[in-house]
Amino acid sequence: MVVEGEKIDQSREWVELNIGPQHPSTHGVLRLKVKLDGETVKDVEPIIGYLHRNAEKLCEMDYYCDSLIYFDRMDYVGAMNMELGYLEAAEKVLGIPPPERAQWIRVIMAELNRIAAHLVWAGAFGLDLGMLTPFFYCFIEREKVLKRFTAVSESRQQTNYMSIGGVYQDIDDQIIYDIEQFTEEFPAKLEDIFNTFVKNDIFISRNKGVGILEPEVAIDYGVTGPMLRASGVEYDVRKAEPYLVYDKLNFDIPVSYKKDNLARFLVRFEEMRQSIRIIKQAIKKIPDGPYFNPKAKKSLMIRLRGEGEAYARTESSKGEFGVYIVADGSVKPYRVHVRSPAMRNLAVLPHLAKDVMIADLFSISGTTDLVFGEVDR
Amino acid sequence: MAKVKSGEGGALTTTIDQAMEWARSNSLWPLTFGLACCAIEMMAIQASNLDISRFGSEIFRNSPRQSDLMIVSGTVTKKMAPRLRRIYDEMPYPKYVIAMGVCVIQGGPYHLGYSVVLGVDRVVPVDVYVPGCPPTPEALTYGIMLLQKKIRNEAER
Amino acid sequence: MVEIIEETKGKDGRRNLKVAKENLVELIKDLKSKGYDHLSLITGIDRKDRLEVVYHLHNMKENVYVVVRTETMDERMPSISSLYASANWEEREQYDMLGIVFEGHPNLKRMFLPESWVGHPLRKNYDLSKVQYVNMDEEGNDYATFDPGDGW
Repeated sequence: MVVEGEKIDQSREWVELNIGPQHPSTHGVLRLKVKLDGETVKDVEPIIGYLHRNAEKLCEMDYYCDSLIYFDRMDYVGAMNMELGYLEAAEKVLGIPPPERAQWIRVIMAELNRIAAHLVWAGAFGLDLGMLTPFFYCFIEREKVLKRFTAVSESRQQTNYMSIGGVYQDIDDQIIYDIEQFTEEFPAKLEDIFNTFVKNDIFISRNKGVGILEPEVAIDYGVTGPMLRASGVEYDVRKAEPYLVYDKLNFDIPVSYKKDNLARFLVRFEEMRQSIRIIKQAIKKIPDGPYFNPKAKKSLMIRLRGEGEAYARTESSKGEFGVYIVADGSVKPYRVHVRSPAMRNLAVLPHLAKDVMIADLFSISGTTDLVFGEVDR
Repeated sequence: MAKVKSGEGGALTTTIDQAMEWARSNSLWPLTFGLACCAIEMMAIQASNLDISRFGSEIFRNSPRQSDLMIVSGTVTKKMAPRLRRIYDEMPYPKYVIAMGVCVIQGGPYHLGYSVVLGVDRVVPVDVYVPGCPPTPEALTYGIMLLQKKIRNEAER
Repeated sequence: MVEIIEETKGKDGRRNLKVAKENLVELIKDLKSKGYDHLSLITGIDRKDRLEVVYHLHNMKENVYVVVRTETMDERMPSISSLYASANWEEREQYDMLGIVFEGHPNLKRMFLPESWVGHPLRKNYDLSKVQYVNMDEEGNDYATFDPGDGW
């Protein structure tokens, strides 16, 4: 409404809005510089680095076995997946493969943690959209996963359970029974959580058709994981380049061709169901034997020397998690570089959030599943 | 006959002080200030299993102007420290700070690096330290109860 | 055809191509047209006398990897951000951490650290004992300083 003078060209008069780094919807410490035309987002510039904890520098200063703690704290909701990613690379460099039982244990733990990570995401995503109920349900289920982690690793979240050449300690029948119990009970609970979302009309209308990501753009930006699969690309590192014993397991890759927020939501929920399927098979197939490679004796762990270089990639809950280790024959790695999937998923946000309403900006950034320990490292 | 107020009674004012501190200690409103790993455990104390509403920390507020407790949960980097200070300055008095996790207490596993503040007490005054990496939600609940005890003791001083 | 200095096979069976700095953009353009549509990773390595940059390219359809390695003596590299959108942030990260200047990059700023930070932390000769502090000016921009009284 022009009261006096000439009509202002709205397309030029952009309001600059600074969101974050402390904002409830940025999942941590993301800062967004947003240019607004009315309520329409014209441009987003993510500014990161508020949780830059120099993990890569510290890895160079520490022994191979000690660096694991920094990976635990990278994607802090999916610590087991991060440990797995690092060990896949470190064990190649050190030449110490884990024995078969340890591989199966790792698969079970990684999949359990994928469920926990997706549950945290689902709860936080509900909070982004103003839904408080799913948050409580998600965290009740997550506590059950953490209870199993506490039983195996004596720690809840930053487990530090896997170690070079195997796992920290063996799992006994009681723990296997507990995990089996969880796989029996969880699917029904998951459906409850699922229904609290999808039976809500507001949730559906806020997510359907919002934040469309074309597959070509996604690949160009390096987007991986559930975001890429929701764009219709059937790509999963567990199938494309199987590590551990994933080639002996039977599971599907959930794909959606709708490309929007809702598709990403559905893909993540289907992943949880597939994870349960994997755990159920793995519990039945887990063999007896040593859980630790005797070459990597715990007391002599700091004397391990690495040779050559290795790039290993694993499917974490966010996407393709790659660790590149360059060794120089000493007891410490020469260079460690981490391919953070969440960082690539964030990089596509300016593209996704073009010409959307400002309220949709957070439903879009919610579905990218950001964890800042991993983005900033 | 109107009595002259001498202000020498004293009994009533101390009772009000104590009542106020009791009320204040049982209605701590924490600020949602999640920084890193510990933030997930901070979310967990709000969830059903360990509901801190039972101890009076009713709701997490998103605005610093509505909250009186800041739980610094997670590593404070040098880039974040000026923001943390500004958010602390925006909170109304009386305000309290809980340092959650070893990163916040002295830098934690990252203390050898270049971009981490070695202890949040260099930035803001801290009332209660909760060690752990990350501390369990139970530990944080205990920290909040210690803070409540501290607030209640303020009246008696 | 682009001249390749050395072709080796890595431990994990991936092709390693070593090229000169001048031929890098041409080679990656060539690889991209052959279906390597996903730039997985850009890594800078400080080899003390020179800087090595490693590109991990991935063909999503055929699921093959190729590793392109190149070196620079003068901290300058051609940018490939016009070929891959993901290279934009990755080159910024390598610039921040190792000080590799990617020529032709549209927005070469520091990724994690404030703009006035002195030195690049992942260099082997970076001195950790010289502590830098960060503060924020009135407009909300960060700056780094060596003065412990000004900043944290």
